[in-house]
Amino acid sequence: MPEIVTRQFGKLEFDESAVLHFPAGLPGFESRTRFLLIERPGTAPLLFLQSLDAPKLCFVAAPMHSIDPDYALAMTPEDQQILSLSSDSLILAVLSASASGRWTANLLAPVVIDKKARRAVQAVRADARYSHRHPLPEPRACS
Amino acid sequence: MLVIRRKIGEILLIGDDVEVEILECSHSQVKLGIRAPKRITILRKEIQLTGEQNRLASRTISPAKLKNLLGHLR
Repeated sequence: MPEIVTRQFGKLEFDESAVLHFPAGLPGFESRTRFLLIERPGTAPLLFLQSLDAPKLCFVAAPMHSIDPDYALAMTPEDQQILSLSSDSLILAVLSASASGRWTANLLAPVVIDKKARRAVQAVRADARYSHRHPLPEPRACS
Repeated sequence: MLVIRRKIGEILLIGDDVEVEILECSHSQVKLGIRAPKRITILRKEIQLTGEQNRLASRTISPAKLKNLLGHLR
């Protein structure tokens, strides 16, 4: 079984059939086309997109419905050529922390995954309906 | 910001070798045709914003940061 030594997870073994293909890469990382979608116990609902081309590259994401339950997906015709939506599609928001440590989600550019075909695209919207820096809600205080 | 009014079929020039032509116009959308040398990158602004955001997102996530992040989602 192929394996890779990643910065985020150390050594990972993976099945070729589990590899997720981003034919167009992701904006800023156009040459990174092969990723693993990783779910770890203890960090649900987070999902990790670990690059297989660059072991240091790993994005953290969350299912879109966990951030905005009413999110309305809109893909450009170009993105729809890469991937056709099905009921089986998984929609994720890439998360990032600003220098001040504040977490935001990119709702302008959801990652859309066709689980059956193992294809994915970061579908940058053409409208201005959602922000690329949508603030996550403040943590609830522990009672 | 420079503001220019143009009609369909009219063209404006940027520098020596970029031409922007107004092709179609509806109440909510403008269709532009751009002629430029291959070395010039033409991007929708949203793609540039997402590229910057992706570079920020690609930084290593420490266990402490992850724990903090989970607090926002649970």
